[in-house]
Amino acid sequence: MSTLLAVDGLDVTFDRHRVLADLSLHVQAGEILGIIGETGSGKTTLARAVVGLSPVRAGRITFEGTDLTALRGKARRAWRRAGQVQYVFQDPLRALDPQHTVARIVAEGLVVAGTLDRAAIDARVRAALAQVGLDQSLAARLPGQISGGQRQRVLLARAVALQPRLLLCDEPVSALDASNRNHVLRLLADLRDRSGVTVVVISHDLSSLAGIADRVAVLYGGRLVEQGPIGRVLSEPRHPYTALLTASAPSVRREHPIPARALRPAPDHRPVAAFGPDACSYASRCPFATQACVTAPSTAGSEWSVACHHADAWRSRLAVGAMSTRRTA
Amino acid sequence: MSTLTAVRLPSARLALSVLAVVTFLAVAGGTVAPHDPLLQDPDLALRGPSLIHPFGTDYLGRDVFSRLLAGTGTTVVAALESVGVGLALGVLPGLASLWLGRTVEWVLLRAVDAVMTLPFIVFAIAVTGILGNGLSQAMVAIGVLFAPLFFRVTRAAGLSLTRAHYVEAAELFGASRWRILRTHVWGKVVPTVAVTAAQATGGALLAVSSLTFLGIGVQPPAPTWGGVLASELGFLSQQPWAPVIPAALIMVAVAALNALADAIRPGGAA
Amino acid sequence: MSAVLRVDNLHVSVGGGSGTSSAGAAAAREAVRDVSFTIGRGESVGLVGESGSGKTLTCRAVLGVLPPGVAVTGGGIHLGGGSSGADVELTGLDRRGWDAVRGNRLAAVFQDPASYLNPSLTVGRQLAEQLRLKRRLPRNQTRAAAVELLAAMGLRRATAVYDQYPHELSGGMLQRALIAIAVAGEPELLVADEATTALDAAVQAEVLDLLRQLREERGLALLLVSHDLAVVAEVCDRVAVFYAGEIVEQGPTADVIANPRHPYTEALLRVASLGDWRRRDLEVIPGRPPEPGAMPVGCRFAARCAHATDTCATPVALSTVDDRQVRCHRAATLELVGA
Repeated sequence: MSTLLAVDGLDVTFDRHRVLADLSLHVQAGEILGIIGETGSGKTTLARAVVGLSPVRAGRITFEGTDLTALRGKARRAWRRAGQVQYVFQDPLRALDPQHTVARIVAEGLVVAGTLDRAAIDARVRAALAQVGLDQSLAARLPGQISGGQRQRVLLARAVALQPRLLLCDEPVSALDASNRNHVLRLLADLRDRSGVTVVVISHDLSSLAGIADRVAVLYGGRLVEQGPIGRVLSEPRHPYTALLTASAPSVRREHPIPARALRPAPDHRPVAAFGPDACSYASRCPFATQACVTAPSTAGSEWSVACHHADAWRSRLAVGAMSTRRTA
Repeated sequence: MSTLTAVRLPSARLALSVLAVVTFLAVAGGTVAPHDPLLQDPDLALRGPSLIHPFGTDYLGRDVFSRLLAGTGTTVVAALESVGVGLALGVLPGLASLWLGRTVEWVLLRAVDAVMTLPFIVFAIAVTGILGNGLSQAMVAIGVLFAPLFFRVTRAAGLSLTRAHYVEAAELFGASRWRILRTHVWGKVVPTVAVTAAQATGGALLAVSSLTFLGIGVQPPAPTWGGVLASELGFLSQQPWAPVIPAALIMVAVAALNALADAIRPGGAA
Repeated sequence: MSAVLRVDNLHVSVGGGSGTSSAGAAAAREAVRDVSFTIGRGESVGLVGESGSGKTLTCRAVLGVLPPGVAVTGGGIHLGGGSSGADVELTGLDRRGWDAVRGNRLAAVFQDPASYLNPSLTVGRQLAEQLRLKRRLPRNQTRAAAVELLAAMGLRRATAVYDQYPHELSGGMLQRALIAIAVAGEPELLVADEATTALDAAVQAEVLDLLRQLREERGLALLLVSHDLAVVAEVCDRVAVFYAGEIVEQGPTADVIANPRHPYTEALLRVASLGDWRRRDLEVIPGRPPEPGAMPVGCRFAARCAHATDTCATPVALSTVDDRQVRCHRAATLELVGA
């Protein structure tokens, strides 16, 4: 597999607040990559930086050799009109013009690109709606007249209509119930399988990623803390934060190898040191942090990498009492 | 779309019919007047309403009804002129301040602040001093003073749109600023601007009437609503009811504009 | 066990008004039909279902905060008598009656905590006010009591949080503060309507732990409403599965999950997260729930059910076997797969 999108040493700063710090992440052609992190971890900023909506302070973002961060003015507009990378916004209600019909919304990118005539655009719109499983009768409706799940698909259809090579989906299923969530995730998996589109799915919900992603990247406090094959990363997390995430995910089966309580800082937890901006981003919250964590850990490993000074040691320091299952009754 | 459905409200329909009559009179007022609005007849001065003179006569024996009809055109055109000037100087700069970058924004905001600090009388005198003394010139001055209102209303309506995700999405498709303004912004700004324009027209009607009442801009024999009101007020002791007629006419027209503004306000009366 | 809350044959209709005249009843759409469940002291019950299944309207009927045009058209909601008050029939309460109940005997937290706090007052002041009102604490004691309560909700640096404004707190902290305000009046029942849905996974688990802890330490009964069966499974002793305005299955959570008796419950389990990170299937429930105006006479799930037969077109009642209730003609014969 070849690298389709390469993010190297990315730094994004808003009002002196460092949202992304020295972040490097490569997306392979044809894969589905999940990006997980909590609110404020920088996962949305990362996607927005790729499409040029977040100001990049340092670092490079290259798409098959094209340096996206260097694009300006006419060159950027031409790149955008080519539609190779599509960003699917998080909130469909805010990302769809309330005064435009579904057909007009889905056609917008094609109309702006201006390479197709009206009939060809109409055909592409119909094909895109069919591809995301939307009935053609919805084409004349306004976003306010369709359901939340349908709006999510309209967003997706608008991106798919441009036949992109990379799809960046920001929380595509967070507002949907389980059945609708799986519907949309299946759609993304189908797109990859049938059209070879590379997909990046951003989510704060592990279970929605576990079903479709090949690899997962875990973000915390603007830094990449772990990345690797999703099944292995989630089953045997090497970073304490990833472990906390997997232990925290609600499940109908009440079994977790490590209870979440054992991975949270104690109520009276005090950081062992003053962790500044150059420290490990998780250190102030990490129950396993030591003096060593005042410097940001380097990322070790290629296929499965983790950024933690204690990646191999923290499990042995799990409190023995905490290991008993949290619900004994 | 909501603008059209709002028109089905009873208040909006009444307002529209009043405005239709005013518009008709503004265009055809002079020709439908039963008498020559300038014809004096000292024998008939200060008469009460009659079949021949439904609103009576003024101190020179002129038919008040005809003078009001004939004055409609001047009054309405002057009001619309000021609103037109305000729209032209307010709406486009308002949009430009949002979409043409920080420098343009800074310059426009300071310009608007400057206009807003201008004392009205001094400014009006200055404008008439430069452009000459006339109703039209005075209304240009009022229009300039309307501009900050339209500027701010447009800017407020458009400000949330600059960060709307669907506008960002259009940018990501490589849409030009002009296309985004046309397809995503214009339709959301127009209703708000229309409401403000209707209200401002009401305000402008009052302003024209006030100016002509004070005798500014129109030479004496020419009839206007404010002029009629002024001449009637001069004879309050002889005909205390007389000023009510032109005043009521001004009031009804202004009220109709305000009612219409309420009806078409996005998410307002509906 | 004495019941804290008993909901009996509750019917909630949209657009019919509260009148029971035949004309009004005909025009109204029934959004909740024949819902019954009880919550014992210190027990936690989960209502689970898709959006539009009636779980939220049921919960809002319990709180007396139905949206305009929506009204209880039948049945009763009974708040059991106990240490802190007499038996109350909630469906018949007037405003003053509700004031005596809300905040004192039942309290609620919702999905979007920020919108339930006044942005211009500090979190502490809003909690202190509630303490003064509900516990009749003198002014000079409220601050200490509020800080203590915030700390009990697991908020670190509770003293600092007391003086912070809502916008300075994260979603998880806000939800804890709101839970503190809810339990300030020492209610018997806490209603949590999608209270953890918008939170990050790690924070959601913490808030669910807090709810469990409140049950254990304060004997608080819990009514948890969620679209996520996994969340209900984490917290609730018993679960009621809603579909198209009806309860289709009800029973002890572990039992229902291990051994579902209604095909819809089975379908929900197939799409729910099992905590098995290597599982790669994305099951969906085919079709869509029936439209509120066009409910079938028979089983409402039949159109989407893999096990449906001709009998399913006839009305089906809730049948009780042991401590399980199932609304399915074929419950006795079907072999369904649990998790």
